[in-house]
Amino acid sequence: MGLGAIAIVAVVLVAADHIDAPGSMGTSADIADFYAFEPTVGSDNTVFAVDLQSNVLPDLAYGTFEENVLTEINIDTDDDLVEDLVIQAIPRDGKMYFFGPVAPSTTGTTGAVMVSSPLGSVAISGATATVETTANGVSLFAGPRQDAFFFDFFQFNAVIGGMAPGGFKPAGDPNSTADDDTTGVDTFDGANTMSIVIEIPNSLLGETSAVNVLGLPVYKTWVTTNSKQ
Amino acid sequence: MKTHTIKYAFALCALLIFASCSDDDDQMMAATPTCTDGLMNGGETGVDCGASCSPCETAVNPPDFSGMYAQVDFIGRPGINTVLSADGSTKDMHNMAIPSEMAAAFQAVFEARLEQYHDVYAGLLGADPMAVNFEPNILGDILNGPDNDGFTNNPVSATVLTTVLAADVLEVAPNLPTTYFNGGSGAPNYEGAIGLTGRTPQDDVIDVSLILLFGGGDGARFSGQDTDMDGISDLPRLTSDGVAFTSTISTTFPYLGAPE
Repeated sequence: MGLGAIAIVAVVLVAADHIDAPGSMGTSADIADFYAFEPTVGSDNTVFAVDLQSNVLPDLAYGTFEENVLTEINIDTDDDLVEDLVIQAIPRDGKMYFFGPVAPSTTGTTGAVMVSSPLGSVAISGATATVETTANGVSLFAGPRQDAFFFDFFQFNAVIGGMAPGGFKPAGDPNSTADDDTTGVDTFDGANTMSIVIEIPNSLLGETSAVNVLGLPVYKTWVTTNSKQ
Repeated sequence: MKTHTIKYAFALCALLIFASCSDDDDQMMAATPTCTDGLMNGGETGVDCGASCSPCETAVNPPDFSGMYAQVDFIGRPGINTVLSADGSTKDMHNMAIPSEMAAAFQAVFEARLEQYHDVYAGLLGADPMAVNFEPNILGDILNGPDNDGFTNNPVSATVLTTVLAADVLEVAPNLPTTYFNGGSGAPNYEGAIGLTGRTPQDDVIDVSLILLFGGGDGARFSGQDTDMDGISDLPRLTSDGVAFTSTISTTFPYLGAPE
């Protein structure tokens, strides 16, 4: 299995979405990760955090939001898996401009910036976070952040390549970065990513009739990056 | 300019309310221009701005956001495309897809990939690949309730699981605590099990995914067991990657830690 295994390992496969596919791998539009959560118990807000790009491996695009890349958070509120609302983010001249939440002019894989529904803008941060809060209580951020993702991705490649009869390694000291070959190593420890974070009152997103498999009301959400045509 | 403005103001004033204007006339002519008098005077370059006042806002053309944008990358739940798409072309197709069409497009290839992973370990264990297959997981156990053993009539078959996962969206529940998945007290009762209400940076989404893919009805099917008690694992460890959250996280916006 020598050659086959080598070929599999040569294909860099990184979860959660980091560097996941040949078409977008390592580009400035490469989505690394996506989080959606209630910031504190009892909060009436929802936080969306989108990570683009990564410096987890050498030679990847990292460090600059491209002006021809539109990042879109899609929100389905009626359970048909079609976006009812979008929140858009796109940079211009050192600022990240946000639009929405608003019904998009068209659903699907192409669309336009919803310029008639501006939400606000924030200066793109350096190492220190600059945040803006709009009059309607929406917080905005864009800039480099730690990549919070954790995964032993080299061992994952060995596992799916059929080269790890024992599977994953047992847990060791979570703060150890030394690969001593006996415990799991977080490949993403020390990696950074370009984050876009928005905290928005649920009242601006409205009610949802979508439910999860446990029957709880949920927004069904996903993120796309889109390149100017 | 100043003279002209005052003349105009005077003329207007006189026209409208002649009597009272005459009283104010001297005072008005003698008034020192200020930055709050509502007039462009005292060398100002706009009304109450410029010169010794605060700078006038220059008219800036709004940024140009025109044009059409086309999808190049996609993410819903973490790791779905990475783990369940078998090759580069499938991954590219998934990134160009929309959720409402994903189940039809990707369920079958995801299910095949899931079985392929089991075949890898069948080979390593010296077992017949046809005999080592996905087993319905703890989601079915939780849905069936505590009286079920996790294996009997478990509804979460490979087809059911990959149908759910193929429609790749991240569910987030407004006004509920966020947990990607938490099995609570674990098998067999799963006391306090909750999940599918979103994803925080701290959620161990990889271990959750591994448990749902390889954990079987009790969540621990392939977890490095030493079945013959010789001190050596006889089954592969596939239900945890052995790493935990270590990044900096803040309790305040934007939550994610400063770059390293």
